[in-house]
Amino acid sequence: MEDLKKLYDAILVGNFKAAREVTEKALAENVDPQMMVQQYMIPAMDEVGRRYEANEYFVPELLIAARAMKASLELIRPLLIARGAEPAGRVAIGTVKGDLHDIGKNLVAAMLEGAGFEVIDLGVDVTPEKFITAVNERNANLVAMSALLTTTMSSMKTIVEAFRTAGARSKVKIMIGGAPVTQKYADEIGADGYSSNANGAVALARRLTAA
Amino acid sequence: MTPRERWLALFAREKPDRIPTDYWATDEVTSRLLREFRCGTIDELYTRLHIDGVVRIDAPRTCEHHPDDPRADIWGMRRRTINYGPGAYDEFDNHPLAAATTVEQIHAYHWPSAEDHDYEAYRREIRRAPRHRLIRSGEFEPFLLYCAMRGMEQAMMDLLVEPDMVQAALDHIFQYHYNLNQRMFEIGKGIVDVVYIAEDLGGQTALLFSRAQIRRFILPNQKKMADLARSYGVHVFYHTDGAARDILPDLITVTGIEVLNPIQWRCPGMERDGLVRDFGDKVIFHGAVDNQQTLPFGSPDDVRREVLDNIAIFSGARWICAPCHNLQPVTSTENILALYNTIFEHGRL
Repeated sequence: MEDLKKLYDAILVGNFKAAREVTEKALAENVDPQMMVQQYMIPAMDEVGRRYEANEYFVPELLIAARAMKASLELIRPLLIARGAEPAGRVAIGTVKGDLHDIGKNLVAAMLEGAGFEVIDLGVDVTPEKFITAVNERNANLVAMSALLTTTMSSMKTIVEAFRTAGARSKVKIMIGGAPVTQKYADEIGADGYSSNANGAVALARRLTAA
Repeated sequence: MTPRERWLALFAREKPDRIPTDYWATDEVTSRLLREFRCGTIDELYTRLHIDGVVRIDAPRTCEHHPDDPRADIWGMRRRTINYGPGAYDEFDNHPLAAATTVEQIHAYHWPSAEDHDYEAYRREIRRAPRHRLIRSGEFEPFLLYCAMRGMEQAMMDLLVEPDMVQAALDHIFQYHYNLNQRMFEIGKGIVDVVYIAEDLGGQTALLFSRAQIRRFILPNQKKMADLARSYGVHVFYHTDGAARDILPDLITVTGIEVLNPIQWRCPGMERDGLVRDFGDKVIFHGAVDNQQTLPFGSPDDVRREVLDNIAIFSGARWICAPCHNLQPVTSTENILALYNTIFEHGRL
């Protein structure tokens, strides 16, 4: 039987080829995909996040770990869906209108995916309508918004208000992040949480969806 | 003292008559200020607001486009304009090295040449340079360019998975800038005061890259460029955004930076008093007026208080008062005035 510790290690060091190979072999041996996610992938990404917070890992290490995790998850996801496995939560994530900067958003999306969330990535320059549609049509229970620019972060306020106006605010928790964004700003615009980094965003998403 | 003399006094570790100031802003802000203060030129605006602004003179390009792509710049990048309402900015629309998989492909790429510049025009321009303002020629920010050419995420992953490709590309970028800057320093000897060297090494909370990666890929070429500048008596102005505290000792001892910009003091490790304590005798601090919260979202009183705080904190060090990066259209004219009026009123030394 395939040694799944190799999957954990492949994600940790960012070796996507090894991650894919181990996953393929394990699935061919009918290993429970849910168990692979819960016992190997999520702990590996948790450790990646821990190392990032401890300044042992930096953005390049985070990116290659996320790439390895995704290589494995691409193979596993169809099986999870077929089994009707429920994700930890459904997150609609995007960089807000007027802003095209997405590396921070992509890191948060990858870390959330690695933590067992279903991620609906709306990309960049995302309008309030797109966020609301994703919540209504894809049943997202969490919205994550990013902005790099002081000139575009005001879109976050517009989006929170648009959820209120559409009567959809109570359906979702809203979390925000990005270079100029602060907890104070999150409080001001009525968002449910703020994180300064991708690892903190996972802890926040877990907290918000558990509530 | 003239604005230039104020800067040069700091480089010489002498006391200027007052704390020098500088100006970084988007085109939208500059147009607005020129209009509101009825100034015809940026020099008039500098005089009106008592800004010791720098004049940038570079050898103009003789070709604007990449040989393989007439819609792209000399590096092969196309741009598109993104409108966000009150303003606009350009984003790259393609990444010409995105598909490269080998070092050979990197070498085979059509890299720009320092020959594609008009040095006679530069000679005329530099001879006409105003003597009362600091003159900047040349720049060097290679990894930023590599990110644009390759795509940011791939470029960052390359540091770990394709180190030879990164190094090859960075060396091509270096060679172009080294040759270009050397020609300008030679022509502008005795006139050019500073060169702009940069690389964004800090994120909002920590370094973006490990120190090992920075030491391997960034510092060696940066040092060669700084050494070139020094050999012509040109001072090294250095820009890195964000929380860069952990790499500052390297920037000071290896690259030999003289001015550190922009001092984002809200980032962990970049607290002003700590920087003054640890590096105050080694570098000139440039910036330090927060452009993520205070200038865009604070009141004129908040700006005034921050400038006064800075005057006190940097009193034992050398400081050039400026916004942390480009003033954006969200920052009110009142806040910009509060910045420059406060430093003019209270910045006498």
